[in-house]
Amino acid sequence: MSAINNNCEYISKKQIKIIFDGKTYQAYEGDTIASALLRNNIRLVGRSFKYHRPRGVYTCGIEEPNALVQILSEHNEPNTRATIKRVYDGMEIKSQNRWPSLKYDFGAVNNILSPIFSAGFYYKTFMGPKGFWKNLYEPLIRRSAGLGKPPKNFRSKSTHQYHNTDIVIIGAGLSGLAAAKKFINTKYKVLLIEQDSYLGGILKNSNKVKTINGLTPLEWINETEELILNSNNITILKNTLVTTYNFTNHLIALEDKFAGKKIDLNKSELTLHKIRTSNTIITNGHIERFISFRNNDLPGVMLASSFEKYIHRYGVVPETEPVIFTNNSSTLSLLKTLISLGCKPKAYVDSRKKDNIETEIKKFLKDKDISFFSDAEIEGCDGNKKVETITIRQGKSFTKLKSSMLCVSGGYNPDIHLFTQSKGLVKWDKNILSFKPDTPFQKTITLGSTSGNYNFKKICDEINEKISIFKTKKISLDINLNVPNKFSIKELWETKKKSNSNWSKSFIDLHNDVTTKDLKQAITEGFDRIEHLKRYTTNSMGTDQGKISSINSLAIVSKMLKKEISEVGTTTYRPPYAPLSFAAIAGRSTYEFYDPERKTSIHSWHLKNNAVFEDVGQWKRPWYFKASENETMHQAVQRESKMLRENAGILDGSTLGKIEIKGRDALEFMNLMYTNAFSKMKPMTSRYAMMLGEDGMIKDDGIICKINDQHFIATTTSSGAPKVLADMEEYLQTEWPHLQVYLNSITEQFSTFNISGPKTREIMMKVFPDIDFSNDAFPFMTFKNFDYKETKIRIMRASFTGELGYEIYIPPKFGLKLWEEIFSYGKEYNLIPYGTETMHLLRAEKGYIVIGQETDGTVTPIDLNYNWMIGKNKKDFIGKRSLSRPDTSREDRKQLVGLSPINKKDIIEEGQHIVELNELPKKITNPIKYLGHVSSGYHSPNLNHSIGLAMIRGGKNLLGQKFFVTATGKTKNIPVEIVNPVFIDPENKRLTS
Amino acid sequence: MILIKCPYCGERDQSEFSNGGEAHVIRPKNPESLSDKDWGEYVFYRNNPKGIFYERWVHSHGCKKWFNAVRNTSTDQILKVYKVNEKRPDLSDFENTLKSPSGEPLVGSGNFAVKK
Ligand SMILES: [Zn+2]
Repeated sequence: MSAINNNCEYISKKQIKIIFDGKTYQAYEGDTIASALLRNNIRLVGRSFKYHRPRGVYTCGIEEPNALVQILSEHNEPNTRATIKRVYDGMEIKSQNRWPSLKYDFGAVNNILSPIFSAGFYYKTFMGPKGFWKNLYEPLIRRSAGLGKPPKNFRSKSTHQYHNTDIVIIGAGLSGLAAAKKFINTKYKVLLIEQDSYLGGILKNSNKVKTINGLTPLEWINETEELILNSNNITILKNTLVTTYNFTNHLIALEDKFAGKKIDLNKSELTLHKIRTSNTIITNGHIERFISFRNNDLPGVMLASSFEKYIHRYGVVPETEPVIFTNNSSTLSLLKTLISLGCKPKAYVDSRKKDNIETEIKKFLKDKDISFFSDAEIEGCDGNKKVETITIRQGKSFTKLKSSMLCVSGGYNPDIHLFTQSKGLVKWDKNILSFKPDTPFQKTITLGSTSGNYNFKKICDEINEKISIFKTKKISLDINLNVPNKFSIKELWETKKKSNSNWSKSFIDLHNDVTTKDLKQAITEGFDRIEHLKRYTTNSMGTDQGKISSINSLAIVSKMLKKEISEVGTTTYRPPYAPLSFAAIAGRSTYEFYDPERKTSIHSWHLKNNAVFEDVGQWKRPWYFKASENETMHQAVQRESKMLRENAGILDGSTLGKIEIKGRDALEFMNLMYTNAFSKMKPMTSRYAMMLGEDGMIKDDGIICKINDQHFIATTTSSGAPKVLADMEEYLQTEWPHLQVYLNSITEQFSTFNISGPKTREIMMKVFPDIDFSNDAFPFMTFKNFDYKETKIRIMRASFTGELGYEIYIPPKFGLKLWEEIFSYGKEYNLIPYGTETMHLLRAEKGYIVIGQETDGTVTPIDLNYNWMIGKNKKDFIGKRSLSRPDTSREDRKQLVGLSPINKKDIIEEGQHIVELNELPKKITNPIKYLGHVSSGYHSPNLNHSIGLAMIRGGKNLLGQKFFVTATGKTKNIPVEIVNPVFIDPENKRLTS
Repeated sequence: MILIKCPYCGERDQSEFSNGGEAHVIRPKNPESLSDKDWGEYVFYRNNPKGIFYERWVHSHGCKKWFNAVRNTSTDQILKVYKVNEKRPDLSDFENTLKSPSGEPLVGSGNFAVKK
């Protein structure tokens, strides 16, 4: 039975109610879920990962492998550590990994089937037959082996906070507080980070320390905290866990802003601190480890220091008559605690020889008349869903005791996680039987038990010495103890078991259900390297990262391999130190804040006119306009395309990238960057141009306007603009710094309208009555600047639809007004707005390519038959030399062609394959010869049949030939003819009309 | 997340920069005079050593300037930064710097945490 420790200062006396698996329980404000459940004598809190074995609370902190729960009252937050999460009134909690209920769990049958779940079971059991993985094993594993379920409909308000500081102290226990004290009112900016809501660490979690400088531990903590709070240079962050230690002293810490409080949806519940520091002091202490024995996972088995922490930190004695099992000198304080509260342990089992046990301990046991077993060990424990009997082995004799709890101490590991994350090297210490920090890689200092110093009386000297590199005052600590000052331990990782049964297991990893037998089996099968063994058995791969057990497994493995532990080595410690919520990582970058939305100056008009939008990079572009509520996308696009070729249409092209190139050497630069030759080009004319990579492949295209030899304007694709500008900058800075050229992005400086169709000239003449739009005065691919009302505009004669067309550039401020004016004049000519989909269809009819559709980074201008664009007489341009490499000049490269269906009703789909077979075999046994793919496929309303652009091997020489195109869900292929990719107006009569 | 010292702006977070691969690969003056093999090596071949590496960086979310850096790819330490028009520092300048975090072999991963 549990009892209350009324002396606990950290728990309020205010009673609250919590709900666990539908039942209401009393708790105190300040409790964790675990302490509240222990208070109510709840032992069974979850089922294990693989075997669904009953599990209880094993620890009292971040290292917990068992007690993971789902918080229903917090958007279903899964995998919450019950040993960390503070309760509040009305908190609703559900146990995890069980069905239909915790007591009667269906998956527990796995425990009986356990031979098939042994080491490497993921790799062995789920092999073949074909199809079983996808249809059977995977859904089964996902349902039964998953932990909690993900939260739903939760919008986090987590924020990020940045710090630049001189010193970070991680952990405010004895060493952390003492170190912080040295920095009070010095010139250093210090951040003291503590994961608990109280400072003090071991001083508040145990009674190992009796007094410091004549004060009780609590008095000393309060005095020190007061001094720190009054200092001008130290900031304390509580409820904050350092999870990550990166290169160049970059730390990440997670702060829980609502520890012990109900989340306020209007406030940020988590803060992710990103800290850049000059020096880091790690004082986050140690973690107790367990010992493997038969059924060491039964609810009721708990680490000894955790048991002690529940008494001191949470005021709950989980069991008044437990059995204590230890291999070291640290458990005396637990004994003393229990006795001081009037509780009496059933037995004290110490694996050390009687002569090696401190007189202090032996005397206390004798004085208090506690049943004492030395040179003994726990053989195992038994019970139905909880510990009921405990078997002690002493020599050849066995003693069976009845008790519901067993406190285990297998020694302490310095918490080296963050130190090794920082790339510091660790070394095996024979005195404490654990790894401890040795050589730091960064400016990192470890103090106290983190550095392997378990001697309280030497902590002061260590701090004064290691912190002497900073200008600080000396401090002194006079410490009185309740435990032997010198830590002593006997090596013990696993006890010998007497009986063998299928149900009895000796665990090495509680979280992932790995037994010591699995380790042996893996080694037998040849997985004797620790990194392999870890992955094969999944040992220490749980969310607790084997905090209480990974060193034990190294020790057991090293014994089996007959090697030193330092030879076996540790597996790599990787961030985060403990799981952190994705919500915290994402911070405010979620939903509409994830990526900016860019809208053109015409956006409001598009909205009013029923535009459906498409995302192009960050831009919102009208995809098509709905003429009526019921009009489908296909209908809209067919209508827009037909109307444009009959009358006129206008596209908001403001998103097209625009770069201004100016300077003495602008002409030379443009000649180097683009394939085209610009030298002979007349001023105020424009040209379609291509930019290649050095490998000869097309990167981007656009229209280049030449104002004069020192001034060009280049347009780019909507999404390619930043990359083109960056590439131009790169060449200017690194390869041709001698060129005097200046680049400027002017994309947002202009609203751009593309108006085209046979009636365009008439509309333009109405809108701009003073301008001569005749073919002679304003020929194709020329541009002019005009004064227009109170601003200036540039008009270029160009077209991407194949019809007569103009591009109008106007400052965005005047854009919407001009757009509306064009429509007021355009009405009588049936001018329509059109979107990107119609633009794509019309350009496909004309055989114009789109970057990223016909090209994919493996296409040269020659592959597209665009040889005319290549300035062959130019000495050099980016990618030129690659165009004559053997591979780029191959005859059988994929080349651009047009596709026309032989049966005009057939539909050519984008992305389909071009093959020689009219029908695919029912069962495909040999690879089918593949000639190429359909890069664009549309139904042309102007030809009234489907058309396609395709990239086909050796396509240039296949004109007029018949092939087949595959179709979705069919084995019968579509017969097509290879044709010229220009379907409409190959003579360019419309373009130049 | 390492700290990088832009020669123009000073120390900034890595997230402000983009890496540009190996430095001192100069674009040939007369590409047409190069054999296919030599040109192919210029376009496609780059070193990827474990250890000292001369590489290019651009302060893309800052001053947008390109510069060079000497980085030990094994320790991720940036040993020197210099402007594009500055002389390439000699390899011998870095002889006495830390070779790897844990003294692991010259080839292969560096996931060793235990001091030998
Ligand atoms: Zn900069």
